Amino acid sequence: MQTVLDLALGGISLGAIYALMAFALSMALATTHVLNVAHGLILVLGAAAATYLIQVRPVGILAALAVVIIGAALFGLAFESVFVRQFLGKSPEEILIGTILVTFGFGLSVETLLGYYWARWVHPTPSFTLSFPWPHLRLGWVTFSGTRLAILVLAILAIGAFHLFLTRAPLGKAIRAVAQNYEGAIILGLNPRLISLTVYIVGITATAISGVLLALAIPLDPYTGTRLTLVSLTVVVIGGVGSLPGALLGGVLLGIAEVLTAYTFGAIWSPVVSLLVFFGVLVIRPEGLFGRGSG
Amino acid sequence: MIRGIVGALVLVALLPPLFLTRDLIAAIYFTFLFMILAVNYDLLGGFLGYVNLGQGAFFGLSAYAVILLLNSGGLDALGATDIPVAMALAILFTLAMTWGFAYPLFRLSGAYFAMGTFAMVLLIQQVIVNFPGLTGGTYGIYVNPRHYLSLHLAYYLALGLLLLSLGLNLWVTRSRLGLAVNAIRESELAAAAIGIDRFRVKRRTLLLSALPSATAGAIFGLQAGYIDVDAAMGVEKTLLPVIMAMLGGSGLVAGPLVGGVIVRGIDIVLKNYLHLAFPALAIYGMILMGIGLLMPHGVLVFLRKRREAGFRSDAGSFRA
Repeated sequence: MQTVLDLALGGISLGAIYALMAFALSMALATTHVLNVAHGLILVLGAAAATYLIQVRPVGILAALAVVIIGAALFGLAFESVFVRQFLGKSPEEILIGTILVTFGFGLSVETLLGYYWARWVHPTPSFTLSFPWPHLRLGWVTFSGTRLAILVLAILAIGAFHLFLTRAPLGKAIRAVAQNYEGAIILGLNPRLISLTVYIVGITATAISGVLLALAIPLDPYTGTRLTLVSLTVVVIGGVGSLPGALLGGVLLGIAEVLTAYTFGAIWSPVVSLLVFFGVLVIRPEGLFGRGSG
Repeated sequence: MIRGIVGALVLVALLPPLFLTRDLIAAIYFTFLFMILAVNYDLLGGFLGYVNLGQGAFFGLSAYAVILLLNSGGLDALGATDIPVAMALAILFTLAMTWGFAYPLFRLSGAYFAMGTFAMVLLIQQVIVNFPGLTGGTYGIYVNPRHYLSLHLAYYLALGLLLLSLGLNLWVTRSRLGLAVNAIRESELAAAAIGIDRFRVKRRTLLLSALPSATAGAIFGLQAGYIDVDAAMGVEKTLLPVIMAMLGGSGLVAGPLVGGVIVRGIDIVLKNYLHLAFPALAIYGMILMGIGLLMPHGVLVFLRKRREAGFRSDAGSFRA
């Protein structure tokens, strides 16, 4: 009973983080066709900033979170105006090739510098990890992992906020319109620049937050980025590009699959399972399990 | 122009082993390996328009296969011919795997294809790491010293293979297969409508692009004497070829060569001659970023456009 509960909570909370981080990538792909290879690095940066502000030079949890969120929003603004804006309006193929080159170069230099200077100034073996103040919660005769529960609650709050933004706010609706039909949305007078800017500010903030949550669950290092990019892509492929419910279900499926695999076959097999899921979904339904069929 | 570049390359490349230091010979040999991967990548990425982020998988699989075959001792009875036979078997094995991967991969296109190929590499890496008994896991495997390939031999083999790869790309541009490939790149729908079997054309192109890469991997494995997952198919082997091709000019036969010279030139200078206060990889990444922003179609197209801009204000299509 206790084991089942631990596995379920572990899988679902990991899945919620996956959903949050994949969702930003999915939204960016759907609206701007930009494949950001440095996506995982943004999680790592979020985790690194939080680790620095909470454990290395403590400034208080709330102040630290505020700095991470504002910093991520500004980073999103800069990212969009330097890397994305000039690709707007080009053919999807050109955007894809151009942005892979640019974001790969960016990711490579930032992760190298992060690893090098963290090792030099902060700690010789860089590791970004956070601890939650109440690691165990007792309820009757079962024990919950407080960390996992906190991750789950925070991730659900963040996902809920994005869902409300996309379905209620005018700008959020405009984003969905652009994702569904770029030309149609522009003919109707939507401003593609404003939308792309919003997608990146919101998306990168969400990604940085998911990085902070992930650092609560597992320790990250400067070079985890590529693996996280691939996990996000797997979730996007399972869920279908641009679909928030898809990302949520895909993330939770993947999280549970990974946790169960780690429990039964050992942790070294969970990446294999997630990649097999990835290929399996591609073979059965290339447009994603929850996609609209226009892949 | 391609003929001039290749001619100069061959003339210059034939001589170095006679008077260069071993480090520089090794650096040029690695440049050849990367160029082979870049030229092969471009068959799919440039000609067909399918961005393959997994070119390193063919390279690495073959490197592992050749070493495992030789280490198993099963080929000892062949005497001196065991190395070529092992290489041939490793290449065949890699092609068989490529054949298999073509089925899931070509259900995808665009960004999904790129992701799928990247996932393919990571899957192979992880499986190799997870069987330490067979493959040495994260520690890697050694080649029995009897089977080492000397640096000079590997150098000339790589040079020859690079020329063959270029020849292959040139041949494809002029062949019936090339016409089909071109048709698919311009419009999948129209290609299907005129009766092109798209999957077969794509699979054939993928196999053709895997063949020289697999050969290069077998040479690399035996020359290196020791490989691990990162050396055989790490990020460098999978992404640098793409970057070289894009940098030089994807879809042009000479593009990957020009890109290869630039990327490897920067790399060699940064690592060996400039003593920086921080890791050279950072500058390397920034250069790639700058080039991606300023010349998204690559150096050759950038130069051609600049030249054409003298006659017309709009340089128009670059693939004419």
